[in-house]
Amino acid sequence: MAFALEFFLRRISQGALIVLAVAFVIFTLLRIAPGDPIRIILGPMATPSAMEETAQRLGLRDPIPVQFVRYLGDIVKGDFGNSFIRGKQGGTTGGSQDAGGSAPVDRAPVIELIAKALPYTLLLAASGFLLACLVSIPLGILAGVRNHGWPQRVALYLSSFFVSLPNVWVGIVLIYLLSARTGWLPAIGYQHIGYVIIPAIVVAVELAPVMIRSISVAVATNVQEPFYEIGQVRGLSARAMLFRHVLRNAAVPLLNSFGAQMIGMLLGGLFVVEYIFSFPGIGLLTINAVFQRDFPVIQTVAIFASTVLVFINIAVDFASTTIDRRLKF
Amino acid sequence: MAIASSPPQTFAAPARGQSVNARILRLAWRSPEMKVASALFLALCLLTLFGPFVIDASATKISVADKFLPPIFMEGGKLPHILGTDQLGRDLLLRSLIGLRNAFLIGVVSVVLMFVLGCAIGIYSGYRGGWTDVVLMRITDIQMSIPVIILAITILGMSRPNPVTIIAVLVLSGWPIYARVARSVTLAERQKEYVRAARIIGASDLRIMVRHIAPSILPPIAFVAVLDVARMMIFEAIFGFIGIGIQPPTPTFGTIIAGGTQYLLNA
Repeated sequence: MAFALEFFLRRISQGALIVLAVAFVIFTLLRIAPGDPIRIILGPMATPSAMEETAQRLGLRDPIPVQFVRYLGDIVKGDFGNSFIRGKQGGTTGGSQDAGGSAPVDRAPVIELIAKALPYTLLLAASGFLLACLVSIPLGILAGVRNHGWPQRVALYLSSFFVSLPNVWVGIVLIYLLSARTGWLPAIGYQHIGYVIIPAIVVAVELAPVMIRSISVAVATNVQEPFYEIGQVRGLSARAMLFRHVLRNAAVPLLNSFGAQMIGMLLGGLFVVEYIFSFPGIGLLTINAVFQRDFPVIQTVAIFASTVLVFINIAVDFASTTIDRRLKF
Repeated sequence: MAIASSPPQTFAAPARGQSVNARILRLAWRSPEMKVASALFLALCLLTLFGPFVIDASATKISVADKFLPPIFMEGGKLPHILGTDQLGRDLLLRSLIGLRNAFLIGVVSVVLMFVLGCAIGIYSGYRGGWTDVVLMRITDIQMSIPVIILAITILGMSRPNPVTIIAVLVLSGWPIYARVARSVTLAERQKEYVRAARIIGASDLRIMVRHIAPSILPPIAFVAVLDVARMMIFEAIFGFIGIGIQPPTPTFGTIIAGGTQYLLNA
């Protein structure tokens, strides 16, 4: 227990610093990059004085460190700010508005926008990941155990094929084949659960090659170790050896690659897939926010995303030490 | 990706003076996959190099009269548009070839840069140890906690994207993995006899890192880096699709796909 407590305290404090640094990097990048959010908030007709007034009120003319400290102060109070663009009623309120129309109270709090989008993203992530598991776990194990036969070839060809397809291409082709041409499945937007099927397939196609690859390599290395044959000599069935011993040993490298690689990939994949399918999740929210220079939304998403990455990595490291006790420090 | 499960091969006795690499290449050449892949790669290279001179069409010139021509092997297709034309009557084969060339250049340049940068930082960090190591590794942690796609859309979406900024974004998000790997291998290598021997005869740290450690640890990492070229090319296509890649009229895979998407439902 003491080990676990120390582990979490140390890693979480490190993680908090990392998230803080990420927040600062994104915060600064947004402000030094060209493109003025005021122009988009007020529209092309705004007078310079109105623009200056709005910028002052939003605090965008202060030095960046001052802005950042103020932003952190708000976050500590649980306030992630209001969107520059999006109104409370939904929809975009940018464009030809006078300075009076842009009072921050009329704008949707970022936290609400994210809370609205998050369930869709989670649904898509979970179904895509599940679908990828359904294909790659059996195939990966088979390919690892019989590594000269046809399962290995199927796994190799399938993953080489999938890995070379850009997800935008897969997405478009599937929309054409399964939706536009045949009308079997709905594709664009979200109205009911059916809308998640094609995007989930695209996410799965992106994840599957990496999963098949790492599972089969991890299983294959363990099957070649002496303990596998010794176990069978001692009368354990191949099935028992595989499920009780090989998979447990193989789990550690797998967890590591899942933590470091997969979550990043999954996140990137989700953003793009949501954009292709106009799926109303975090990714679409963020991409639109970038084009509209909606700083508060981008900052918050970046902070949340890096927090998730950091926590998953902590959880993965903790899980590996629980599965394989040799790794304890 | 390590091929941990290659079938047992009967190794021919190595000819004298033949390097390990040459033997591996010869072994790989025996597999049909290698032959097919090399032929394809070579054909595409030749096509991208010479295609634009041979095909009598323009990748950027708009000619509305010729829009939406089907490929030559379908009814209604006509020369010189072998793969047909897009919504503005531009030759699709030519556009794809130029898109491929751009993607390939961006992929190769960005991987070379992230490899050099990442490995240099990794070797330095692992060799120095102590505070240098701690600081550099925390920086890699931070960089790795910013998802590529968020970094990319933030930088490219805010500025006017061009090949240089695209490569910069890819390098920025790609180097930490190389730094991690190079560092961990260097840590193991630092203890070895030959490094200590080099230090005893008075070689400088820089010389040890560049002349001794780097040549012995980099080849396997470089092998993995080749696969990254493909990943970067896919990123380039994604950026183009979202509209944050190389800007029109220069064709890229992403913009070609995005251009076709609008007409998908009427196809």
